[in-house]
This record gives sequence, structure tokens and C-alpha cells, in this order.
Amino acid sequence: MKADNAIDLVDITKKFDEVTAVREFSAEIKKGEFFSLLGPSGCGKTTTLRMIAGLEVPTRGHILLEGSDVSSTPAYRRNVNTVFQDYALFPHMSVRKNIYFPLKMKKIPRSEAEPRIERVLRLVNMEGFGNRLPQQLSGGQRQRIALARSLVNEPAALLLDEPLGALDFKLRVAMQKVLKDIQRNVGITFIYVTHDQSEAMTMSDRIAVMKDGLAHQIASPDQIYNDPATAFVASFIGDMNFVHGTVLDNDGKTCILDVEGQKVTAKRAVELAKAADALVCIRTERVQINPQRRVENRVSATLSRIVYRGTDYEATCRVGQSELRAVIQAVAWPADLRVGDTVEAAWSAEDVIVFPRAEEADVIKYSVEAV
Amino acid sequence: MSSKSRAAGRGRGTWLKIYGTLIFVFLYFPMIIVLLFSFSPTRTIVGLSGLTLKWYQELFQDTGLLTAFWHTVLVGLCAVAIATVFGTAGAFFITRVEFPGKGVFRAMVMLPFLLPGIIMGLTLLIFFRNLNVPLSMFTILMGHVSFTTPLVMFQVSSRLMRMGPTYRWAAMDLGANPVQTFWHITLPMIRTALIGAGLLAFTVSFDEIVISYFLTGTWMTLPVYIYGMLRFGLSPKVYAISTIILILSLVLITFMARYTGRSAETYRVSKRGAA
Amino acid sequence: MKRRLSKPGEFIKGIPIAVWLLALVAVPLMFTFVMSFYSSSGLVIDTTLTLKNYRLFFTDPLYARILFKSIRLALAISVLSIAAAFPLAYMVSFKIRRGRNLLFMLCIIPLWVSYLVRIIAWRTILGNRGVINSALMAIGVIQEPLTFFLYNQFAIAITLTYICIPFVFIPVYTALEKIPRNLLDASNDLGANELRTFFNVILPLGLPGLITGFIFSFIIALGDYIIPLQLGGTQGIMFGNLVWSQFGFAFNWPLGAALGFILFAIAVSILGLTSKFGTTEGGFLGE
Repeated sequence: MKADNAIDLVDITKKFDEVTAVREFSAEIKKGEFFSLLGPSGCGKTTTLRMIAGLEVPTRGHILLEGSDVSSTPAYRRNVNTVFQDYALFPHMSVRKNIYFPLKMKKIPRSEAEPRIERVLRLVNMEGFGNRLPQQLSGGQRQRIALARSLVNEPAALLLDEPLGALDFKLRVAMQKVLKDIQRNVGITFIYVTHDQSEAMTMSDRIAVMKDGLAHQIASPDQIYNDPATAFVASFIGDMNFVHGTVLDNDGKTCILDVEGQKVTAKRAVELAKAADALVCIRTERVQINPQRRVENRVSATLSRIVYRGTDYEATCRVGQSELRAVIQAVAWPADLRVGDTVEAAWSAEDVIVFPRAEEADVIKYSVEAV
Repeated sequence: MSSKSRAAGRGRGTWLKIYGTLIFVFLYFPMIIVLLFSFSPTRTIVGLSGLTLKWYQELFQDTGLLTAFWHTVLVGLCAVAIATVFGTAGAFFITRVEFPGKGVFRAMVMLPFLLPGIIMGLTLLIFFRNLNVPLSMFTILMGHVSFTTPLVMFQVSSRLMRMGPTYRWAAMDLGANPVQTFWHITLPMIRTALIGAGLLAFTVSFDEIVISYFLTGTWMTLPVYIYGMLRFGLSPKVYAISTIILILSLVLITFMARYTGRSAETYRVSKRGAA
Repeated sequence: MKRRLSKPGEFIKGIPIAVWLLALVAVPLMFTFVMSFYSSSGLVIDTTLTLKNYRLFFTDPLYARILFKSIRLALAISVLSIAAAFPLAYMVSFKIRRGRNLLFMLCIIPLWVSYLVRIIAWRTILGNRGVINSALMAIGVIQEPLTFFLYNQFAIAITLTYICIPFVFIPVYTALEKIPRNLLDASNDLGANELRTFFNVILPLGLPGLITGFIFSFIIALGDYIIPLQLGGTQGIMFGNLVWSQFGFAFNWPLGAALGFILFAIAVSILGLTSKFGTTEGGFLGE
């Protein structure tokens, strides 16, 4: 039911002159959900967020907030609040005044507001900071005050625009936990924009993976990881091998492909016809080297590179013209392997994901040319 | 710090510093002369026989001068008030609205400030004569408004651009409509820029001679009055008033330095003062 | 943010400044332009359109001569100002470590000394009974005051240079300050000594500031009429005087309008050069 959803996005499109930033984006965000918009810069995630906030007006489509259409309601009349990337704490106001501001706009008297301000300060663990000025706070502290300020109004949804982007790594991880806890405690719907896929994966109930204005997939982290809808999603999340193959046979449940002259079986529904060009994808952690147990897919390969990464090893296997990278936990690493050895690279049929070759253009590559 | 000494000057630049000091002396020497002469009973250095406040006393008895001084303050305050309104409105317009030819528009607004005063003076004179407006305080005021407004607009628009749009977005997101956003958020944040611009505009207006001279009838400002005094030779009273103006300017500039915060901002220069 | 044309409703914000622009800039300029095509006979202004004034300017050698003289002097003044201000700015920017801000303020303060006061000061210094002459006579170097200090182009040049130095200092200093210091490190690291670093790194990067300073100084010097009037004597008639006198004793407003408009055209074209070649930062035209 629409009224159960916190936010409904119906075919949202946003054009800036000739540039289409967001293309027919639709989503039903449930109440209390932690929903992330994930993608590389320029994919339209921030624009989508701003449209939900009311800071941009969609060129086409509708936005519903708890069932009512707010597409043309200005931002100051929508019951959603935003945490901005640079926090935007008003520098001429104390922390307390900053948090009071949204309540003041609603004409709530100071006496009634004080307990709410205190409550929200406690929620973000910043009691006692009420009289400080934003300039006197550290980055993490400002972030928490910005959060408090946006929560004090108890909005229907909280929108967060890469809020942890400015923090360094350890602080960011800590804040991820804080945010997730707050979200669960308060039960408020979070819409979270980020370009960091591990951040989205750890925190979200569902993720919308976006590229060039289009949502490629909207699903849970588990589905996105194991069942990517497009090659882009497959490449953006986690570490994926991509090799070329040709379809030999396909009965709708199992697909057999030719990869570098070797037979590869995929136990997956693949929509490609015989002789079609395919992009074969296997997660790097799913590739084993000289496995003990029998696995459906085995190819003969040469070890061209071994990188020790502390917790694991990354071994690059050359199969003909293609390369398969295998990530193997350090504890399981066969100690006698050397560069140049001939090995057996193997993986199970369930771990093969197949896409049409044409989607290779969307794949995020990490190479010198791509820089 | 060490990198600077390494790259930009192996030598500590002693020749440069000597040259710099000479320029410095050149810059300050005339002012010291004026200062000295305002206390000297005679007009030559040779006769520097003791100090006297005679000229200052004569100053305070010169009603024409005191009236002119008052006029200058009046014009300054009114011009600043008007310039602040128009300049701030212009600043908001320039920073918030996009249109082709914006650069040209901005340049045109800056013209009265950048062009030599003689051009602005004569255009306004012709303008007022054509409309049969007699030369009076009003015409002088309009002249002052013409070069102070760009100043205010420039200062305020710089501040607005540095401020960025995020605070406004945050305010609107939190429930403030555009009027509330302006009043509670934007205005307090540009307050120091407004004050600094006002002080700067007042200082510029106080000293302005060129345009004022074109547009003056019998109602005179201080610089016009002093200029008149110059025609009759250098009475030492002139040194006294000059010293007073010097001190006043320094006081104003100190205030300005405090209000505009960054010392870099205190150099929003008055071309008015010279051109 | 992308540059898009704003919605029509937004343009209301522009009404006050547009009114101001029309009333105090555009319309007066138009009136002046129109008046430059009138002519004057005695005290009456004849409003039949004529090119007489412009023709006079282009044919009578007096005007060309004086304009040329003014331009030449303004150029000289600008060069002198740069010669004084640039090394000063370089010194403060690169050679001073502590008290930089204070020194900067000290270089700016002369700007705030009243224009008139500065003129008065120089008249005192250069005059027959002025500081220089009195000092020289007191020492006994000369018996009679030297008159070549005042009431000629030399006096104009010195006074105007004095006025212009701070105006050149500011854009030059700003430009020099903007040069990232690690460029100097890199230059040094790659083997250049201070002189070569100066010519290859500092000078090219500081050039826009130099150009802006030069242009501002030039315009100030070209358009000034008070200093030539007070300190120039008969030798020191500049274009500014010529324009001004049309509104004074000569009472030929149409001619004044025409000459003024020519000056306006010159000034605007030169100012246009700043945005092309000069720095748009430094607190003048943009940030």
C-alpha cells in the first residue's frame, strides 16, 4: 500500500538543459528502511536526494511522502530533513540555537523545545555541547550535531548526502555504526547517498545502484552482491573477474560457455541465445587454485602474478589471453606456489554470472587508461 | 618557512630591503611633513621654533570649515545608507540570478568606481543640468551614491559567494521560507561584510573631491572647502585640518580591519580617493 | 553548479540595481553623448546636431598634442609606480616572515591619507619655500630657491606616482601571494637559482597583477586634473584640465562632453584589457 511507504518515487526524471541527470527513477521506500543510493560521481544520486528534499523540482514524475504528492511542495514545507555533506551548521549560532532552529520555524516555544533539544543531543552523545559554536567542534562532532538538528523535528524521513565523506577511515567506520544504531533506535526512514560501496553494503536494508541517471538495480545487499542485475552492478560492488565467452548451449537453467577454448558451466538463468557473445563474471574470492574437492569448472592456467595482502593473497592466473584473479585467504594459501607455475583454477557453477558482451562498456575498470 | 628562505631567497634580499625601506620613507615622508607643519608656527623647517596649537584653534573658529565638515559627515552617512540598500540588492541579484551578459552588467555597475572622477563628474553634471536640477546637497549626494554603491555591491557579493548556497539549503530544508532564511541566516552571516563595506564607503565618500567639485553649488563638503583654501595659498590651517583627516582615516581603517576580519579584505581600495 | 538562465520571477531582485544603473550611469552617459553633438556659442547651447566638437578634436593639433602628452606622462607615471611598488610587494611577499600583515597594512595606509592632503604635502615639499628648497638653502648648497621642482611635469609626475604606488601595490601583492610556494621549491629542486626562478616562475605568474596595477595607475594618471592644476603650472596642462575647463571658464559644455566621452572611451577600452590580461582577483573586479 502506498501509505505504508515512507516515500514513493514515481518515474522521476530531472533534466538540466540538455543533460539528463536522473532518468525515470522509481522506488518504493518503506517506513523505517535504511535505503541507500549508491553509484559513482555524476550518477544522479545526489540530484535524486535533492528532489526528495525539495531543493530541486523533478522535470517529470511524482514524489509521494507518506501517500501524499509533494512534487510541487517547496522544501520548507516538506516533512523531510537533510544532513548535508559539509554539515552546513549555522556558524553564527550556538549548537543549541542550531538545533532549535527548525523548531523555531515551526513556532514551537523555547520551553517546549528545550527537552526535545536535550533528548536529541543525548541521542547523538553530545550532551553538554549546547553552548559551543560550530567552529569549536571537530569534524565528527559537527556531523553529529548536524544529525541532531535534522532529527529534532522528527521528520518522516532523513536524507543524508555522503555525510561521512569528510571523515578519515577509522572515524568513518565508527560513525557508520553510530548512524545505523540511531536509525534502528529511532525507527526513522534513512535515505543515504554514498559512492562507497562497502559503506552501502554494511549499513543498508536496500540499495539502489545508479549510473548515468539510471537505477541499474534496487535490491538488498545480498541480492546485489550475488545476483547483480547488470555488468555495471557486478563490477561496482566487490571484486569481480570479467572474461569473454561465447554461449555454446543454454536450456534456461544451465548455460554452457566457451571461455578461451575451455568449457564453463553456469548454473543460472541466462538470457542469451546460442553463439551469442557473453561476458562471464566470477567473484575473485570464489576462484580456487588447485582445489582438493571436485568443482564443476576447472581450467588450466599459469600463475602470472602473486600479491601478498596481509589477510589474503591475490593470484593472477593467465588462461589464454584472459586473466582470472583469485583471492585466497592467507591461512589457506598453498605455500609452494610460485610465479610461472601451471595451476588449476576452479570455481563452482553457481558462482558464474553471465551478461551480454555489450554491457562490458558499463563495467568500472581500474587501469591506467581509465584514470 | 624554511622552504621560502631556500627557494625565494638564498640571499636575505638585503638590497631589496634597502630599496623597500627607501620606498617606505618616500611614502611616509610627506605625511610626516604635514603633521609637523600643523604644529609649527612658521612655514619653513628652518624656523621650526617650537610647537603650537594655534592653527588648530583657528580651525575650530572657522565656521565655514566646520559647516563643511558637518556637510561631509551628513553626505557620507546618507550616501552609505542609500548605497547599502542598492548595493546589497544588487549583490543578491548578481550572485543568485543567472543571465547572459552578466559580466557586462557587473562591469557597468563598477564603472563609477573605476573610472576617473572627471568622467563621472561631468556626466552627472550634464545630467542634472539637463533636468534643471540645481546644484546642491542632493546633487552631491547622488554623486557620492554613484561611486559608493559599486563598492558595497562588490563587498557584499564577495561575501555571498564565499558563503555559498549550502546554508540557505539547510535553512529551507529545516523549514524556513525564503524570508525567514534571509532574516535569520543570510543577513547575520553578511553582517560584517555590510559593516565593513559601510565603513569603507564612508571613508571614500569623506575624502572625495573630484565629483563633489563638479556637482557643488554653494553647499560644500570639506574637501571642496579645503580645495578652495588651497587657491589662496597654503595657510597653515590646511595642515591642521589635514592632520585631523589623517587621524580620522586611520581610526576608520582600524575599525574596518577589525570588522572585515581577514586583513586581506581591508584593502578593498578606494579609487575614488585619487581619481 | 551549472549556469542556467534563471526563471523570470527571479529578475525582480534586480530592479533596484537596474534603476540605480539607469539613473546614475546609463542615462547620464547618454545625455553626455548627445550633448557632445551640440555646439556652444557664447552662453547659449545650440542643440542642432553637429560633429563640430569631434572634428575639432581630430583636426586641431592642440588637442592631439595635449592628449599625447598626457598619455606619455601617464605611461611614465605607471612605469615609475611599478618600479616602486613591485619590488616593495616582492619584498613583503617573499622576504618578510614575521609582521607581514602589519607591513602590508603600512603599505596600504598612504591610500587612506586624503588625496588633497597628499597634494598639499607635495606642494609644501616642492615649493619655493618648501622643504627641499629650505633644506638645501639651509645647508648652503644653493642661494636662491630652485624653481624646477614645482609647477611643471616633474611635480605632476612625482605627486601622481606617489598617489599611484599603493594602487599598484595591491594587485601585485595579491598576485604574488597567490603563487604557491611549493612552485618555488620545485623550481629550486630542478636546479634554478633565485634569478631564474624569478624570471621563469614568479614573473609570469605575477604578470596579471602587474598588468592590472599598471592599468589602474595609468587610468588614474590620465584622468586626473586636480594635480596638474595645482602643481603643473603652465607647463603642466593635461587632457584632464582641458576637459574640466570646458565646464569652467571656457563654458563650452558640448565640447567638454565630447572630450569627456573620448576620455571615457579610452578608459573603458583600457579597463577592458584588465579582464583579458590582468588579474580579476585582488579586490577590484572580481574574486
